[in-house]
Amino acid sequence: MSRALRIIKRFIPYEMIQGMMITLKNQWRPHITLEYPKETPELHPRFRGVPRLRRDPDNGEELCVGCLLCEQICPDNCISLVVDKRPSGKGKYPKSFIIDYERCCFCGLCVDPCPTKPITAIYMSHDYELSDYSRVEFITGKERLYEGHPLKKYEK
Amino acid sequence: MSQDDLINYLVIPVVKIAVVLGVVSGLVAYLTLLERKVLGFMQLRLAPRRVGPSGLLQPIADGIKLLIKEDPTPDGADRALFVLAPVMSIIPAFAALAVLPFAATPFEIFGYEFTPFITDVNIGVLYILSITSLGVYGIILGGWASNSKYSLLGSLRSAAQMVSYEVPLGLSIIGVLMLAGTASMVGIVEAQRQAAWWFFVPQVIGLFCYFVSAVAETNRLPFDLPEAEAELVAGYQTEYAGMKFAFYMMAEYVNMIVVASLATTLWLGGWLRPFPNVEALEFLNFLNWAHPALSGIFWFALKVFLILYIYIWLRGTFPRYRYDQLMRLGWKWLLPLSLANILVTGLVLVLWK
Repeated sequence: MSRALRIIKRFIPYEMIQGMMITLKNQWRPHITLEYPKETPELHPRFRGVPRLRRDPDNGEELCVGCLLCEQICPDNCISLVVDKRPSGKGKYPKSFIIDYERCCFCGLCVDPCPTKPITAIYMSHDYELSDYSRVEFITGKERLYEGHPLKKYEK
Repeated sequence: MSQDDLINYLVIPVVKIAVVLGVVSGLVAYLTLLERKVLGFMQLRLAPRRVGPSGLLQPIADGIKLLIKEDPTPDGADRALFVLAPVMSIIPAFAALAVLPFAATPFEIFGYEFTPFITDVNIGVLYILSITSLGVYGIILGGWASNSKYSLLGSLRSAAQMVSYEVPLGLSIIGVLMLAGTASMVGIVEAQRQAAWWFFVPQVIGLFCYFVSAVAETNRLPFDLPEAEAELVAGYQTEYAGMKFAFYMMAEYVNMIVVASLATTLWLGGWLRPFPNVEALEFLNFLNWAHPALSGIFWFALKVFLILYIYIWLRGTFPRYRYDQLMRLGWKWLLPLSLANILVTGLVLVLWK
C-alpha cells in the first residue's frame, strides 16, 4: 500500500500541490500589516520610548531631587542638569533639566539609579513619534520633558 | 461596391477590433491590480489601497506615472530599434486576439450581424502560435538596441527560453487538433460540444504540458529568467523606462490573456457551459434572457479568469528556476511527454474508429 502511494507520489507533483495549498490558505488569513498613521501599534508596558520626567501624582510637585545620578550614568552624556535649592521645603530641585534626544540611545540606564520613591522621577515613556524640522528641537528642556514632544495628528 | 458591402467588410470589423482592443487594454490594467492584490493577500500584506476605494484606481495612477516619466535613451543605443522593439513586442500580442472566439451566437445591431469574435480562420491555432512567437523579436532587439551588457545577456537567455518552450507548446496542442479534426478556433469548440465533454478530459497531459510551457513562454514566474529582478537587473528591460517599459509590461499581460484564452478554447470548452449536452443544466446559461452570446462570453471570461488566477497563484508559490533546470524541464520532460501524448492519442483514435 505505502509502496503504491510512493509510486503515485512520484508521478504527481505532490510537494508542489502542498506548497500551492499553503499559499491558497494564507490568502484568507487576516493581514498583519499595520496602516501606521491611521492605526498605531499596541505597546508593551516596558516599551522604552524617549526618557521623560514626571511629577508627584499626589501633589503635583517635581519628583526629581537633583542627585545627578542619571547625568553620571548616561553613556551618551546627553543629560545635563543645573541643580538649585527648592524654593519651598527642604532638598534640591533641577533648575534646568536638558536631554538631547538626538544623542539618546534609549538604553534606560538613567531610570535604574533614580532614587525617588515610590516612582522614579525620570522614566522611559511610550513616545516614539519624534520628527521635527530642525535639530535644535531635539534638545529638550524641562517643559517638554513634562508635557511631551508636540505631536501633529494624522488627518485624511 | 454597395453600402452594405462597405459596412460588412470595413465598418463592422473596425468596430469589433476597437471593442476588443479597448476591453483587453482595460483588462490588462486591472490584471496588474489583481496580481498585486492576490500576491499581497498570499503574503499576509495589504495590497495597494490608497488610490481610490480600496485601491481600485491604482492602475490609472500607474498609467499616468508611466506616461509622464522621463524616457531617456542610453548613450550609443540604436535609436530606431530602441523605439521599435517594444512596439514589435506588443503588436503580435494584440494581433493574436483576432481569432479568439468569445461566443458563438452573432449579435443583431441595426440589421447587421456582429459575430462575437473578430474573425474565424480555418488555421486559427496555427495563426496564434506563429504570431505569438514573433514576440521574441521584440525582446531580442530590445536587448540588442539598448547597448548594455545586462540587456543583451538577458535577451539572449530570454530568446533561448522562448524558442525552447515553443516546441512543447506547439506539440501539446496537436492532441486536441487530432480530436477536433480542425484548426479553426470556433470549430474546435463546436467539436467539444459534439464530443459532449471538454477536451481536457482526454487531453489532460496535453493541457499540463501546454500550461507549463505557456508560463515559460510568457516569461512569468517561476520561469521569469529573462526578467529575474533579483539577480539579473531586469534583463532586456534594463534600459527601458516610461511608455516603452509600459509597452513591454502590457505585452506580457496581453500574452497572458491570449495564452489563457487559447487554453480555454482548446481544452476547457471555450464559451460552452459545463456539460454542454445535459439539458437539465441549461439554467447555467442564465444570461440567455438578454442574449445567448452574453452567457457564452460569461463562461469564457470565467474560465480565462480562473487560468489567470492560477498564473498569479504560481507566482506567489514557487521560487525561480535555475537556467539549467529550466532547459532540462523543457527538453527532457515536456518534449517527450507531449510527444507521447500525441502518440497515445493517435493510437487510441486509430483503434477506436
